Amino acid sequence: MMLARVADSLYWAGRYVERAEHVSRLAQVMLNATLDPSEAAGQVLALTRAALGAPPGVQEPLELARALSLDRDNPGSVVMSLARARENARQVRDQITTESWERLNMLYLRAVGARAGASFNADPLGFLGEIVSDLHLFKGAADSTMSHGEGWRFMVTGVFLERAQLIGRLLKAAFTPIAVASEEPLALVTVLRMACALEPYLRTYTADLNPRFILEFLMFDEDFPRSIRHATDQIERHLSHLARGRELGRQDPQRLAGRLNARLAFADIGEVEGPGAGELLAAVEAETTAIHEAMYETFVAYPLELRLPAA
Amino acid sequence: MFDASGATRAHYAPLHARIEALGPEALADRQRTLERSFLLQGITFTVYGAETSTERIIPTDLFPRIIPATEWARVEAGLTQRLLALNLFLADIYGPQKILGDKIIPRDLVLGAPSYRREMQHLLVPHGAYANVCGSDLIRHPSGEFVVLEDNLRVPSGVSYMLANREASRRTFPEVFREARVRPVERYPDLLLATLKSMAGDWRPNPQVVVLTPGVYNSAYYEHAYLARLMGVPLVEGRDLAVHDDLVYMRTTSGLRRVDVIYRRVDDDFIDPLTFRRDSSLGVAGLFNAYRSGNVVICNAPGTGVADDKAVYAYVPAIIRYYLGEDAILNNVETYLCRAPAQLDHVLAHLDTLVVKAVGASGGYGMLVGPHASAVERERFAAALKADPENYIAQPTIQLSTAPCLVEGRMEPRHVDLRPFILSAEKVVVTPGALTRVALKRGSLVVNSSQGGGSKDTWVQAEDGSAAP
Repeated sequence: MMLARVADSLYWAGRYVERAEHVSRLAQVMLNATLDPSEAAGQVLALTRAALGAPPGVQEPLELARALSLDRDNPGSVVMSLARARENARQVRDQITTESWERLNMLYLRAVGARAGASFNADPLGFLGEIVSDLHLFKGAADSTMSHGEGWRFMVTGVFLERAQLIGRLLKAAFTPIAVASEEPLALVTVLRMACALEPYLRTYTADLNPRFILEFLMFDEDFPRSIRHATDQIERHLSHLARGRELGRQDPQRLAGRLNARLAFADIGEVEGPGAGELLAAVEAETTAIHEAMYETFVAYPLELRLPAA
Repeated sequence: MFDASGATRAHYAPLHARIEALGPEALADRQRTLERSFLLQGITFTVYGAETSTERIIPTDLFPRIIPATEWARVEAGLTQRLLALNLFLADIYGPQKILGDKIIPRDLVLGAPSYRREMQHLLVPHGAYANVCGSDLIRHPSGEFVVLEDNLRVPSGVSYMLANREASRRTFPEVFREARVRPVERYPDLLLATLKSMAGDWRPNPQVVVLTPGVYNSAYYEHAYLARLMGVPLVEGRDLAVHDDLVYMRTTSGLRRVDVIYRRVDDDFIDPLTFRRDSSLGVAGLFNAYRSGNVVICNAPGTGVADDKAVYAYVPAIIRYYLGEDAILNNVETYLCRAPAQLDHVLAHLDTLVVKAVGASGGYGMLVGPHASAVERERFAAALKADPENYIAQPTIQLSTAPCLVEGRMEPRHVDLRPFILSAEKVVVTPGALTRVALKRGSLVVNSSQGGGSKDTWVQAEDGSAAP
């Protein structure tokens, strides 16, 4: 048993935490990749902007990184995502263990603190890297101290739903229409780094960098935690737990999640050749949005008269 | 901490020795650690500015205040007596109104008070316990005697600071803590839960208790979440609740679920827009009707505020005598009711030494502090008093007692008051501890957290005397 508003806040806390991590990582990888002037640098900048819908006007890598990290007028910036994650967590403070709360709160206080700008300027890569590893600590603390019940499942579903969408957008920006990132190895490495996937990819495919393999890995790999397939798998798993013993009404999020997961599980590799990848990625975006809406209608904003307790 | 001659009072000796041994640097270091830990835990209140709001910790002083067992025994007995009498008073004025019929207290003073709720008339409250949670403000006279300055029977806050301060002081002075034989306060959350559960009808075997908060923007939100977490009950907002057929439900992920007891941290005015203020969005439409039907219990009961009205306060000793046939164990601060012509004359003649307060106001509004006011201000107040004497009371300017505090690494005296917490249901329980509020500015008498006030832990000793340092 859990309050509907609480479930909603935990779900959003999960989404914002994931968003903050992704944007931090993209900004960090982008900064790193544009350090030495190569042909790939321009591509990486374009890729970052396309994957995040970055604010127009900012052209210089360091400026872009700063806008993505600290700009409070940019709703997608790291600091705003952290503030929202923390605000959602604070609204349900009684549901989150002290260990996980303190991790998130500390990170938030540092990112909004008076010294945040100065420490970014002093060492932007270090600043961003630290945020990413602190978010890992938060997720680890939540995983190992929170009871893996309803509240935790809502939060984790938020994390994976957000991840499926973000990785989908990254791949869309990188590979549709066919390979903006072309065959330029540096750009391909950057895409993998942005998905935190370089080392696992190399172990699976060796150093054979090829857009097709990268798409295959980040879309269909079952085991890699940042592939879309893995994310939809997790979403389906948690939703089926959450659905237990409930009548789910006409919009059943579990069914939608199962359908999307099956589509990815049984997709033909040929589907990502040519324009196929774009279609599949568009489907991922549309279906995850549908799952999000179905969850809201089923668990949070249901009409009262339908859900009165029996007798 | 020190007696009149400047020597350390016996029960403070071990603490004093420990402080000397630590030295200023180590103390300042511990103070910083403590503040950081409060910030991390989110033990903060929100200060709103024009554009941004910032969160601040309530300044906490490291040094605990120590109250010997015999002094506390009197406080405990006095507060128990007071709460018994005030609950009987509330049951009476919302019932047969005998005390008004017997002319112990003027009828219009009670029924005309802004906090009187006629909607509560003839409504049965379990155990006659209207004020389940009370946080009275006490001050210590120069004679050493504790007197009651104010009873807070509506939605008193601060108990989370009592608990957080305790955790901090145990960590800071573990050896002295052990030796001082301090009575535990940690049971407060489970005693509160038991109190709330006992307010539910016997026919609801496992009553669902919830804490109702105005939301995350309320300055005491941390406390609401803290109590809900420690009691293991849901923390709800008005929008989480719904009333259907006079039953109260909360919206859960698996449908609606019945609620039996609401520990509300929302003022009377805001709990039900259908019954009280219509513009409130913090409450639940229809809640009062559900309460009236006996389907839910609201704690504290609506309308308890009338018993801590500033004019009714002056009658509390008479109220205790009327219902219990006893003299008050804890005295009031001397209070002049301007509604009585003789007392009004006295107040007008002594405006330069008295504090005048409007009866219905709180938080320092509509107040004249005689010794600090200008002649013009005093004249304006004199006119207001003559025009509407019933709306004012006056009290002597109070000298709060002082306690040593750590200020910039040094020990300095600061003014303090004392807020113990009292739970009432079938019986009255005084928590053996309290929140000591501190006026952190030198010479200041203001202990409110919004105006430079802080707090410190309060150690109630299990027995008198001090262990050897």
